[in-house]
Amino acid sequence: MTPEALARPDLGVRSPQVLSTRPPHVPRGADGSGDVELSPKMRADLLDFDAWAEVLSMYGRTMRVAVALTDAEGLLLGKCQNPQPVWKLVRDAVSDWGTGCPFCITKHLPCDAVAEALRTGTVVVAHDEAGLTHVAVPLALGKQSLGAVIAGQVFDRYPEPLLLRRAAKDFGISAQELWEAAKKERPVAGNLLRASGDLLGALGHAFLQQRLGAILQEKLAETNDRFRWLAEGIRDYALFTMDTTGRVTSWNVGAERMLGYTQAEILGQNFSCIFPPEDIQRRVAEGQLNKALRTGRSEYEGWSVRRTQEQFWTNISITALPGGRESPIHGFAIIMQDTTERRKLAMVLEEAQHERARLQEKFLSHVSHELRTPLTAIYFFTTNVLDGIFGELTPEQHKHLALALDNVTQLKDMVSDLLDITRVDTHKLTLVHQPTSLVKTTAEVLSTCRTNAAAKNIGLHGDFAPNLPLVWADPARVRQILTNLIDNGIKFTPDSGTISVKGKFFGEDHNFVCVSVTDSGCGISPENREIIFDRLAQVQGTGEVSRSGLGLGLFISRELVTRHGGRIWLDSRPGYGSTFYFTLPVFSLAKYCSHIFSGPNLDAGSVTLIAVDVLEVKGGVQADILREIRQILGRCIHAGQDVLLPATGDEGAIVTFFIVACTDPKGSSLIASRILRDLHNFDKASHLSPAISSTTMLVARGQPREQQIHQVAARIESSIQEHLLDKERIK
Amino acid sequence: MTQTNDFMAQEAEHKTAKKILIVDDDEHFRLGLTPRLKTNGYAVVWAGDAVAAISVARREAPDLIILDLGLPAGDGFLVLERMKTLSDLVAVPVIVLSARDPADNKKRALEAGAAAFFQKPPDNHEFMMAIRHALGETVALSNFLKT
Repeated sequence: MTPEALARPDLGVRSPQVLSTRPPHVPRGADGSGDVELSPKMRADLLDFDAWAEVLSMYGRTMRVAVALTDAEGLLLGKCQNPQPVWKLVRDAVSDWGTGCPFCITKHLPCDAVAEALRTGTVVVAHDEAGLTHVAVPLALGKQSLGAVIAGQVFDRYPEPLLLRRAAKDFGISAQELWEAAKKERPVAGNLLRASGDLLGALGHAFLQQRLGAILQEKLAETNDRFRWLAEGIRDYALFTMDTTGRVTSWNVGAERMLGYTQAEILGQNFSCIFPPEDIQRRVAEGQLNKALRTGRSEYEGWSVRRTQEQFWTNISITALPGGRESPIHGFAIIMQDTTERRKLAMVLEEAQHERARLQEKFLSHVSHELRTPLTAIYFFTTNVLDGIFGELTPEQHKHLALALDNVTQLKDMVSDLLDITRVDTHKLTLVHQPTSLVKTTAEVLSTCRTNAAAKNIGLHGDFAPNLPLVWADPARVRQILTNLIDNGIKFTPDSGTISVKGKFFGEDHNFVCVSVTDSGCGISPENREIIFDRLAQVQGTGEVSRSGLGLGLFISRELVTRHGGRIWLDSRPGYGSTFYFTLPVFSLAKYCSHIFSGPNLDAGSVTLIAVDVLEVKGGVQADILREIRQILGRCIHAGQDVLLPATGDEGAIVTFFIVACTDPKGSSLIASRILRDLHNFDKASHLSPAISSTTMLVARGQPREQQIHQVAARIESSIQEHLLDKERIK
Repeated sequence: MTQTNDFMAQEAEHKTAKKILIVDDDEHFRLGLTPRLKTNGYAVVWAGDAVAAISVARREAPDLIILDLGLPAGDGFLVLERMKTLSDLVAVPVIVLSARDPADNKKRALEAGAAAFFQKPPDNHEFMMAIRHALGETVALSNFLKT
């Protein structure tokens, strides 16, 4: 009790700051003030009377006052501690005191000390009708009022007989008895009482903080327990943590169960024991940890090893655990899931799908075979009659038989499509690449499509850029793609329309040629453009739907173009027509030869003979172009470095160049790169059509150099002779 | 072998005509192909299974054999293998004409000694070209370029 406090004369309102000051060691916000609204449960826990009873009782006995706790409504919580004799006498005599101030002996004026204290956050002193005094001390956490402590039931001056007599009369008790009790009481000085109110406020507040701390501690422990229970309860997942050096720092039951190590065994050990040695060598886990360090998280699938050395497939998720100020990461949390079964299942599923595709292929192959047999008979009978083997036909008969033949052809194509589609699924759609002339291939396709087009009076046009290079493709498949697109065009173009096929260098990439098929048909709506290349896609509501086929043509075309390394797409204006585009890679002699001059071939010490038959597409080979090629390929002679080029050939329509590369391992890469450069130059004259073949011969090592050269020369000579003979035979 | 007899009778008319043996178990196939071959000036004989193929071939000494792969009593590959061991048949050119998938059978047939492989139904023009080529007959250059 400070002298200043004692000297204060008034009984009025106290400055609130004194009471609401928090102890300095409590961090802001940690007391549940401000941001977080205290839950009713939390409020009840904070003002738990059982917790408060002892401190209140001790205070009451020390200060010789009665003490009680109320909630924020001013209602008594628990019992009044250390009740004083006069108050007790009056209170005991009356059965029902209602909900008014628990400390007041009053009948006429309700006491609002508690309400006032809670409202203003200050200590409020009140007198009752019997002359007894009490102080109401608010309890608050920050701005949130929790309740109040009331202390008093004492006289702050000598008892007044008149007041007491009136109270005795009001409450129906003996005035004498009340007076006797009051006389025995020792009054407490008003200042002292108020100062004790301040003390009670500070005390109450300190206790409240302690109470809050205890509650939070309890909650934290509960949460921790829950987490531990959770982590330990997860039996299907291995959950463990490790520090940045890879030492295991925690290990749950799931980890024990999955990996076979107990917590005692593994704690402090390096985590590498749970990965296969080859993965450790390849630093698989390390790489993933580094990724987690960089990005905070990494997830991968791989093998893990149990204590029994049994390997199993796992999904592993690594999370970097943020650290304190000294290091940004203090370790890793790892969650592992045994996915062996799932993987097995996936493999079984995949196997089943393969099996299904295989069976489907087998079935369709069988169906195709069975359909082809009667189809062949129909084809023969139809064409025999149509070709006049059994005599002339009337125009009408001819027309009908021609239509029958058309349908046979359609049926045949459908059967082929069916088989192709299963080949797509079983990855058996094979291509036989060769330098292919688009001009020639397109001309062939246009001539076969002409009958169909003529039936609808549709004009077919081909338009190819001059000097269009050869493409590296399977000509039969290119024919198939073009036939599909043109047939499609004919199908959806009304009578007297036009279809034109164009070929030119692909603007975006000159390593490709772009072919376009444009029709003047009904066009394709944007939504159909998305799905038209899908399997079994059929555009509804346009053209002759009844003759739309199997809907496999464009799907197969896309597959074929993609296999060639090109792409297919379309452009369309509904009502005006559509243009389909596809690209095919330009043939490059350099690209073709590059594998011969690389890797294992060079190392083997081999001799490669490449024969290039050059034939100009139109007319004979022009002398100047030939000279140019001679010049280009002539540079391939790198004599003295084991590369020879006896470039020679006929002076007729076909000129053969022989490139002989004797690739001695010594300096072979240098020579190879020179040859490839020269071949690139050859590619620039690529409007010429080369037919190529190559033979590689291994050179016996360990023989004297001279003997090697002699052998090689003899073999090259015989190969050249053979090649020329072959060509002669073909002629 | 009664079926072959009518063709043998017709063959008498073309003493100089080259003879083609069709080995196929489908009678409609034979009926369909024969008129075209005859129109092109060939004599035609027929065998319906793998065993008959060899015996008819030995008896008739055809200039060319058109061989199906799926046959009763063995398959076309068996016929090709057997022909290799018989001196009178080893040089007879064979064109395989089968409904089977060329992806699985073409290479095998050519390696077994076939001169060409066609899938049913063949293009008449290409097929006749191949027959002429296999028989070593001169073919007009324009036709050659077309194939």
